[in-house]
Amino acid sequence: MAEKLKEKENRPGWIASINPWVLKIKNNPERVAFVLHRITGLLMALIIMAHIYVTGTPARVGWDAWAEEIAKAHGITAVTLYFFFFAGIAWYHGLNGIRLLLVEFFGVCIGKPEKPKPPYLAPSLKACQRKLLYLVFILWAILWAATGYILFAS
Amino acid sequence: MMGSGSKKLLLQYITAILLIFLLTWHLVIRVPALRGVSTFAETLASDKVYHEITAYGALLLLFAYTVLLHAFNGLRNILLEWTDGKYNALITGTIIVLFFIFAGLATYTVVGITPPPASG
Repeated sequence: MAEKLKEKENRPGWIASINPWVLKIKNNPERVAFVLHRITGLLMALIIMAHIYVTGTPARVGWDAWAEEIAKAHGITAVTLYFFFFAGIAWYHGLNGIRLLLVEFFGVCIGKPEKPKPPYLAPSLKACQRKLLYLVFILWAILWAATGYILFAS
Repeated sequence: MMGSGSKKLLLQYITAILLIFLLTWHLVIRVPALRGVSTFAETLASDKVYHEITAYGALLLLFAYTVLLHAFNGLRNILLEWTDGKYNALITGTIIVLFFIFAGLATYTVVGITPPPASG
C-alpha cells in the first residue's frame, strides 16, 4: 500500500503536467511558459488537423463551397474568431518555440557552469534566458493584437 | 516514429527550425497590405488561393509534412507522458495512421486542385 502511494506521488498523473503551480516554487515563469507551450501545442495539433481538412475544400468539394466559407471571413464571425484563436496559440507556441531552440538547442542565454556557492542560485537563473521569456510574452501580446486588427478591423 | 528518443527530439528541433521560415511565409501571404488587397478575406479569394497552390505547391506540401511531423511527434510525446508509456504501441500506431491520413489529404489538396470557375 505504502509502495503504491509512493508510486502515485512520483507519478502525479496527467493533470500535474499542465498545472503551473504543481512545483512549490515562487517566481517560476519558466514553468508557466512550459505549461502554456504544452497546452498550445496540444491545441495546435488538433486545430492543424481541422485546418488541413478545411483547406482541402476546393479539391474535395469545390470552389463554390470554398467561396461560401470565405464569405464568412468578414468582421466578427465564427470564421474570424477561429482564425484569431488559432493565431493566438500559434504565436505563443512559435515565439516560445524560438526561445526554447535558442536556450535548449543552441545554448544561448543560459550562462556558464560554475562551482556551486551560497546562495546556490543556478547560473541559468542569472543569465538572460528569463529576459527572453518576458520578451516572448510581450511579442505575443503585440502580434496577437496586430492579428486581431487585420482580422476584425481591416 | 522509429529511432531513439534523442533522435525524435532532434527531429522536433529540426522541424521547428524549418517551421519558423515556413510558418512566417504562410502568415505573411495572409497580410492584406502585402497582397495589395484591403481585407483578410480577399487574400483567401479563389483565384489567389489557386495561384498559391499551383505556384507554390511543393513549398505548401513541405510545410504540411513538416508541421504534421512536428505536431504528431509532440502529441505522441504528451500522450506517452500522460499514460506513463503504458499504451506505447497503440499511441504510436494511431499517430502514424493519423500522419498518413492528413499528409494524404494535404497532398490531394495540391495534386487534385482544379481551376476556380472565374479563371477556368
